[in-house]
Amino acid sequence: MIYDIRHTTSYTYAAPVASARCLLRLLPRDDGGQRLLRGEVELAPQPCRRKERVDFFGNRVIAASVDTPHNALRITLEARVEVRRLQPPAAALTPGWETAQRAAASFQSLAPQSPAHFLFPGRLTALQPPVTAYARESFLASRPVLEAAMELMRRIHADFKYDPEATDITTPLDETFRRRSGVCQDFAHIMIVALRGLGLPAAYVSGYLRTLPAPGRNRLEGADASHAWISVWCGAAFGWLQLDPTNNMMVCDEHIVLAVGRDYADVSPIDGVILGAGKQKLDVSVDVKAIEGISNPANELRQINV
Amino acid sequence: MFPDAAVAPLAEAKSRRIASWLSDYRPAQGTFDELMDEAGRPRPHWLSLLEALAEFGEAEIDQRFARASRRIDEMGITYRVHGEARERPAPLSRLPLLLTQTEWAKIERGICQRAELLDLLLRDVYGENRLVAQGALPAAAVAGSPEYVRPMSGVKPAGGRWLRFYAADIARGPDGEWRVLGDRAQAPSGSGYALENRLIMARTFPSLFRDMNVRRLASFFRDFRAGLASAAPRADPRICLLTPGVFSETYAEQVSLARYLGLLLVEGDDLMASDGKLFVRTIAGLKRVDVLWRRVDADWCDPLEMNAGSRLGAPGLFEAIRQSAIGMANMPGAGLVEARALMSFLPSLAPRLLGEDLRIANIETLWCGKEDAQTRVLAELDSRRVKGAFGPGVFGRIDSRGIHAAGLGEGEKKRLAAAIAERGMDFVAQEQLALATTPAWVDGALRPRPFSLRVFATATRDDDWSVMPGGYCRVYDRQDAQALYPETEAPSADVWVLSDAPIDVSTLMPPAENAHIVRVPGVLPSRAADNLFWMGRYLERTEAVLRLARCLCNRLSDRQIHQTDDARHDDRQPIDRLLRQLVAWGCVNENPRETSAAALALSAVSDAAAYGSARACAREARRTASIVRERLSQDMWQLLRRLETRLQCTVDSDRSGPALEPPSEPEIVDCADRALQTLAALSGLMDENFNRVAGWSFLDLGKRVERAINTCRFARQFADGRPTMESLDVLIELIDSQITYRGRYLSGAALAPVHDMVLLDPFNPRSVAFQAARIDDHLAGLPTLLDDGMMEKPRRMSTLLRAELGSQEAQTLDATVILVIEQRFLSLAEAISERYFLHRQSAMTASKRAQFA
Repeated sequence: MIYDIRHTTSYTYAAPVASARCLLRLLPRDDGGQRLLRGEVELAPQPCRRKERVDFFGNRVIAASVDTPHNALRITLEARVEVRRLQPPAAALTPGWETAQRAAASFQSLAPQSPAHFLFPGRLTALQPPVTAYARESFLASRPVLEAAMELMRRIHADFKYDPEATDITTPLDETFRRRSGVCQDFAHIMIVALRGLGLPAAYVSGYLRTLPAPGRNRLEGADASHAWISVWCGAAFGWLQLDPTNNMMVCDEHIVLAVGRDYADVSPIDGVILGAGKQKLDVSVDVKAIEGISNPANELRQINV
Repeated sequence: MFPDAAVAPLAEAKSRRIASWLSDYRPAQGTFDELMDEAGRPRPHWLSLLEALAEFGEAEIDQRFARASRRIDEMGITYRVHGEARERPAPLSRLPLLLTQTEWAKIERGICQRAELLDLLLRDVYGENRLVAQGALPAAAVAGSPEYVRPMSGVKPAGGRWLRFYAADIARGPDGEWRVLGDRAQAPSGSGYALENRLIMARTFPSLFRDMNVRRLASFFRDFRAGLASAAPRADPRICLLTPGVFSETYAEQVSLARYLGLLLVEGDDLMASDGKLFVRTIAGLKRVDVLWRRVDADWCDPLEMNAGSRLGAPGLFEAIRQSAIGMANMPGAGLVEARALMSFLPSLAPRLLGEDLRIANIETLWCGKEDAQTRVLAELDSRRVKGAFGPGVFGRIDSRGIHAAGLGEGEKKRLAAAIAERGMDFVAQEQLALATTPAWVDGALRPRPFSLRVFATATRDDDWSVMPGGYCRVYDRQDAQALYPETEAPSADVWVLSDAPIDVSTLMPPAENAHIVRVPGVLPSRAADNLFWMGRYLERTEAVLRLARCLCNRLSDRQIHQTDDARHDDRQPIDRLLRQLVAWGCVNENPRETSAAALALSAVSDAAAYGSARACAREARRTASIVRERLSQDMWQLLRRLETRLQCTVDSDRSGPALEPPSEPEIVDCADRALQTLAALSGLMDENFNRVAGWSFLDLGKRVERAINTCRFARQFADGRPTMESLDVLIELIDSQITYRGRYLSGAALAPVHDMVLLDPFNPRSVAFQAARIDDHLAGLPTLLDDGMMEKPRRMSTLLRAELGSQEAQTLDATVILVIEQRFLSLAEAISERYFLHRQSAMTASKRAQFA
């Protein structure tokens, strides 16, 4: 499947801003069953300095500074991505979760994808004994790790209400957990904390989900917006497998990966500091379009259970 | 000389004293003691100290200790408990810890080895990562640390070292051998306190200090400074100490170190990273920073790449570090080696990285992330203390003190074991070490007290390590209060390393031919300039309020004495105007219609809750002063503190009775007088003892601007709209010019002469014209941003004001004209702030985030 993505973020400031510096993690990844055919990030006004590098986890980061006074800042990503992931393995074939847990603890690498990085609390994902207790119900002794993780995903999807009004970025995780509601970021964070509490490596994945405008079908939550899900490490042979707890589905060709990290704090698409006082207004628009003709018709018809 | 007959009884008294000290001194069984050996005999080096002490006699000893306590207070050696606003004096144990040359040599070698080992370990973990690949170090033991700073991975530090300043907490076990309790590599504190402790002890027992051949600390700090300079990418580098600010627990120490080492003390707001380089904002524009000694934790250093909520660092600092454009002590990420999990691997890593065993062992540490260690810990849980493997504790499980499993109930013990089995990597188990004891002076007697010692090492210019011959010793009142909680309020002790030979003091002086003479000590950061300016303004305002209150009280007492009915109306005008001025400045919270004038005067002086009172202004002056404390002398700091104390206006305690009467007018006047004297002393210090470089200019600029504004205000208040002679008298009194006025004019106060004296007289140091001239002179001497020979805005304004005031005639002045002058001084203050205080531009974090599904 090939997608065209257009993601525009506009800041409007009440008072002129003297300078802005930002880190942008907006360019989709070019690995793991996904190819970046083209990708362009534009800033208006033009930055006086712009530099690209790759961060620790392999995400592309653009560091840009705008030194001229401005009243508005617009950041636009335009990208074409081809997604052709392997079908996820049969859950029953994956190793028992305790085996994966032990393999992760004794892993001999600090490379970006090493499970060792994803075992511990992150800035927004402190471990919570109640969340661990919740997870334990799915992780019965010797159960295959993916099977248990999928059940946990199903339970989160069933127990938690999708509610954009319930939380914001500052809501602490334990509160989200108590309220049993939130958005994709919360679902992902809770699942990450649940898995890590048991000693299983879990990563945060940011990206996009394509819109499926089929009539008579529920609109997929997360469509036409930034989305987030998780990745769980299932032992050296199976590696990282992605699950979307917001939609209770294994990630395949409808998801486009932007960046991977320990939690949202690692992959925040736009991070920045501006010099200026006064309020700011934020507008975001995301457009994800599958390109007709190039796409794989078999995939187009795949059923998605919400 | 004493006659021989008197010597014998004296010597006898001395040995009796020592004998009684020793007979009462009983170290616990099974611990090592510094004073007594296993057989209960005093060790020779301690005996020489006791003999010298016994020479003094108890009374003298107590006196000297009391003097030491006063000195601690005067020097402002304080620390803060996290989250508290008040500063506490750092308590000092009366007796030093004594270490012989032989003992010290062991420590020195062990610490140098360990510093080198940790530096190599950091280099590997942030570099090639061979240790993990070879299985010598589990990846999770590194990745679990919050101080594993991933953005530093693959970075080459300027100067080559990850660690430049290192500290270890060590203690002696029951066998007399030293053990390392913990490593400090993030931003080790304590070296400045060690330095202060030394200053105090050396002054308390000067002869003792000399006769015992105590090794000096200066050379260590010289090595440190030279080592820092060698990390710089440029010759003749600018070195800054990055402080988290006045609310840091160890701010007092950071101030004294910056002063001692001659470093520029900066906060995050002072710094600006641009284009992969780091700059400090100064009154002369941006200046390059070459080396940064940070006392800010890595997570707070760069909001762009680490904690986005941090205001303590500089956005872009990490990029400058990546470009090797700045030398760091220590590199962000060096704190990794503080993790207890890593400590458990050091015994096996030392032979691998250095080809030799650790010279000083760790306390035994088992990381439960390894299966074999976990099994052992679970089997022998009762004999160990379980702690967090990476941070102070483990969330929801244990706090920073750790848990002694033997002390738990069955259920709790089971839960702990289950937690270790589930996420073993979060836990370590450590042996319980019975700390060795050292004598402390408690109520006139010697008592054995457990202690731990923090020792410091620095990388030198020639790529070796230098260890401070001394350290920061904590003395605990109980065994279990332990070394491992630095936050306890345990007193510290000076550490005397006793040389076998007399100290050659001449080697401590830097060689004369290398001395580079400097008159202007580098640049003035704009934040320092800002705070000095405001300190000047607050002090001047304090004075103005005190003068108003004093005037008011004097008028009130006069009235009570000569109260006649017809005089009443005339008398009332100055009092009404004084009250109006106090209300306008927020010096009182009470409603003037419902409160007696005397009570209002008292409020104006001492009501801390009224934002404009003299006491509140003095408090603000001290607050701004505390931010630039490294630039102020001890004397000045003490006077600032005394000023605040004096303004409390407390009634003498000998006035008895349950319901204390409020102070009378004369008592308020006394209080205001004493405070004004302290202010005069401060002014004197500023004028005579403050080096006339840019810092002084800003202090004085603040004072002059504020005085000009206040004087205009007074002139408008007291000389406006048909003032009585009494009101004009008040005005002359407020600007302290009664004597001059009477000398010049034989008649009573009249409007034009008063206006001239208050506003235009160039010879009166309190007149507005005088302030304009001083301000203009200061601005002329300050650096300009561009070399184009043009005046900058503040200077243009001051030059014009000076010329206009110099040519004005008193007859043309009225309230409207004076108001315009006052407003022009206000605009001038604004212009000064805009031009010189560059850090003021308020930064706010753009909170990102797109919409979420």
